Amino acid sequence: MDVTAVLRLRWVQALIVLVVWFVTATALKGVQTQELSTATDSPFTAIMRDAAASIRGNRTESFLFVYVFNPIRTVISGFIEIFMGVIAVPADGNVIPLLGWFGTLVLIGFIVYATSTLRMALVSMFLMLLCGMLGMWLLTMETLAMTIGAVVLSLVIALPLGVWAGLNDRVMKVLRPWLDLAQVLPTLVYLAPLALVFLIGIASATIATMIYSIPICIRITAHAIKSLKHGPIEAAESAGSTRWQVLTKVQLPMAKSTIILAVNQTTLAALSFVVIAALIGAPGLGKPVVEALTIRNVGDGVVAGLAVVILAVMLDRSTSAAVSRDQSGYAAADAAKVRRRIGLAIFGVLTLIAIYLSRYLLVFAVFPERLNFQEPVAEAANAVSDWITDNLGFLTVTGSEFFTVWVLNPLQDVLANSPWWLTLIAITLLAFILAGRTVGILVLVLLALVMATGLWNDTMLTLAMTLIATGFVVIIGIVLGVWAGRSSRVDRFLRPFLDAGQTMPAFVYLVPVLALFGPTRFAAIVLGVVYAAPVVIRIVADGVRKVPKESVEAAISAGSTNLQVITKVQLPVARRSILLGVNQGLIFVLAVVVIGGFVGAGGLGYLVIVGQSKPELAGKGLAAGIAIVLLGIILDRIAQGRPQKGPQDRH
Amino acid sequence: MKRVGKGAGLVVTLAAAGLALAACGGGTVNEAASSSAAPAPAESSAAAPAESSAAPAPADCGSWGVAMHAWVGYTASAQVLSDVAREKLGCDITQTTLDEAGVTYDAMEAGSVDVIIEDWGGGRWQEWVDRGAIVEVGLNGNVGLIGMYVPQWMCDEYPDITDGTKLNEYADLFKTPESGDKGAWLEGPPGYTTIGEKLIEANGLNYKIINTGSEAALIEAFTKGNDNKEAVLGYFYEPQNFLAKVPLCRINFPANDWTDAAKASGLTDYPETPLVKLATVKLMDSGSPFATLVQNFECTNEDQNQVALDIESGMTPEEAAQKWIDANPDKVAAWLEGTGVS
Repeated sequence: MDVTAVLRLRWVQALIVLVVWFVTATALKGVQTQELSTATDSPFTAIMRDAAASIRGNRTESFLFVYVFNPIRTVISGFIEIFMGVIAVPADGNVIPLLGWFGTLVLIGFIVYATSTLRMALVSMFLMLLCGMLGMWLLTMETLAMTIGAVVLSLVIALPLGVWAGLNDRVMKVLRPWLDLAQVLPTLVYLAPLALVFLIGIASATIATMIYSIPICIRITAHAIKSLKHGPIEAAESAGSTRWQVLTKVQLPMAKSTIILAVNQTTLAALSFVVIAALIGAPGLGKPVVEALTIRNVGDGVVAGLAVVILAVMLDRSTSAAVSRDQSGYAAADAAKVRRRIGLAIFGVLTLIAIYLSRYLLVFAVFPERLNFQEPVAEAANAVSDWITDNLGFLTVTGSEFFTVWVLNPLQDVLANSPWWLTLIAITLLAFILAGRTVGILVLVLLALVMATGLWNDTMLTLAMTLIATGFVVIIGIVLGVWAGRSSRVDRFLRPFLDAGQTMPAFVYLVPVLALFGPTRFAAIVLGVVYAAPVVIRIVADGVRKVPKESVEAAISAGSTNLQVITKVQLPVARRSILLGVNQGLIFVLAVVVIGGFVGAGGLGYLVIVGQSKPELAGKGLAAGIAIVLLGIILDRIAQGRPQKGPQDRH
Repeated sequence: MKRVGKGAGLVVTLAAAGLALAACGGGTVNEAASSSAAPAPAESSAAAPAESSAAPAPADCGSWGVAMHAWVGYTASAQVLSDVAREKLGCDITQTTLDEAGVTYDAMEAGSVDVIIEDWGGGRWQEWVDRGAIVEVGLNGNVGLIGMYVPQWMCDEYPDITDGTKLNEYADLFKTPESGDKGAWLEGPPGYTTIGEKLIEANGLNYKIINTGSEAALIEAFTKGNDNKEAVLGYFYEPQNFLAKVPLCRINFPANDWTDAAKASGLTDYPETPLVKLATVKLMDSGSPFATLVQNFECTNEDQNQVALDIESGMTPEEAAQKWIDANPDKVAAWLEGTGVS
């Protein structure tokens, strides 16, 4: 009873703050909003602009560049170019890379076979063949080469760090804030600073990818080492093994399948970066996707997007197959081992023959034009997109205008078009009430920093869009998530869409969304919803599925209706997952709402983009990046709520 | 564990064997393609269409990067340049798609791009010139005109809307949920030269800037405005073959008195901008015939629109460029003067 009384009190407090905020904001609309025209610098952005100019000016002379950054750039691009040269990029004057398409295809099959199963190898080869049939062979290979290169570099750094962090809590404590930060950073943010230091091209794109994938890998590896059972380790220690022996003979082998999972997740993270990377000159499938945005060819963008999805499915399934083979492989009989060894030998010989053929016969060297179905697929996609725009346009325009006038504009009036100090005080109070004193103070400091960047108004515009998109995402996530969690048939039906939604780059649907909603903030909100909903649906469905069967059955036998089962049993029990879903949803939405700068949504995202192309606005772009990071941390901390009692690890 | 270890070992062995096999030359597809007797691999999307008759030894020209920018007019010019370089000079050309201005100048400094065939930036590249990365290679023959436009039907209906200083009388027409109680002023994409904020402030216009973020957004807006007779006021420019499909009408401000956008007063209109070719110092100092080609390259707005229109109506940029090259041999020949090839 006591607990609910306190809860109710907090709820009432928050409501009071909201009402007072709303009333005051309405009375003081347009006063001290800190609005700053795009072409004007704030004191802080002016400093950033000068810093950017000085970095650009020093690239050829400064010690740091000559001895640190430039060598790093050379080594990384050189490393990636090795992979490129083998499967993707012909050397000067050549027609094919080192391997022709057929040789590469069979080689991929062989590698998958060697690490998982024959079936998986054939599936992988079929999927790669599909990419070729979409007319994307070389681009897919460029992306694959870049992904492999970036993953290898990420693993070299992340695996040792992860193991160390798993063995030593103090290391984890030092790393954790950085891991947290990297996960809330929208990808668009680090492009500009990286390009400033490592210039446009493969090196910057690879480093950006690594920043994104390394934290994920460290986390999973550390977790794998840490969650091992203590029995075998203690046994080894008492048998007199050194620490190194314990690590290499006991801990690493035991944690191996989780570590392969880390490889799987790192690979997918790296792949999800390809399109963004194209913005700073990386080759591969991102290129046609970004081009499609500017010349409005939806079809070509969709084809390239499909190739990204197919490649993602291939890499995901083959690396997860390696995990499950590793888990089940120990018990295999001797006969099976022999059979497999023979199979590998045969496949190996076939691979060598394929490589040979692919170098000497044109059909096997250059992907045959006869198998290229890019055009019909692109045309079909264009037709679908045109039909939607022509026939559903009136619906979407009315809907988005209604929504903008009645929900988005009022919210924006309160957040952005009111005095900055009012918004600052109100958000801080809400943080105090909802997430406790520590978070409250942190939020106050972060908001003050946002204020110091001089981009307060733009930050609040972005916040308004993010909050609304998150609202949509949570509603959709809970409805579909509960449905999928309760019925495996729904789950099976939704799964391919969720897979595609998560791997299809947001840029692909930018043009159709633009055609439907015009250059509006609502378009950006729709982008955020499409991108973030799959994650939330998945997390909620997972939570609902984990609700103990007994409690559901007990409720049903007590005569509860379906709705009662959902609201009284499944949702409350799955509360943790739902909160996690909200948190993830917020972060995902923020990452994409920034991309909304491309479709007329303004705010911080636009400043990031404009800062990249107009040198005189570089300072605003960099400052906007900082403001996005601050906003991300604020949202993340408030959404995590009060620290839970119990075994949950505290940050 | 052991077995997977062996699997990995096998992969390595095989990879080594494969590479050794691949490296031993003699009669591969690559050699077949470079000897003029073999049929050119027309299927290859990456390889230059090697026309055995005209192609001299590729070593003369070298490998160069051409920046590709978003708008279709640029694509047209850059594709024609790339194809002439590949076919007539045997250059190895890599096209890289990038946002214009800063990003591309950085790429040129980094060495991955060598030519911008059409730059609207009005001297924004000076910093890179000072550092010895980029040089201006003169005008490309196109003349750009930026301005604020409305769909043609609006000019028919409201004849004096074309006078920019009277825009306030029409502000109500352009209200949208995005602009609140002001008129919506769709501003150009991030990299483009824009002075909308200054025009609004200096002329006391009751309009709000909507930063469209991409040219696609502007084209969607104008297309809708034309088809559904909706009021749209937005940034646009010539040469752009979109104007041939959707008629737009330009809003005029008093004649221009500036060249550097940063110093514009806001009272006067955008100027006519002769568009500039930029190249890396590395290319221009190399003595490559490609440098001569870039130096000579020149085309009219009409030339560019022909190619652009073909691209928009469904040809690939390569096909459209080829069509223009075949139809204009004397122009191409003039560009090739001094390269030793005709």
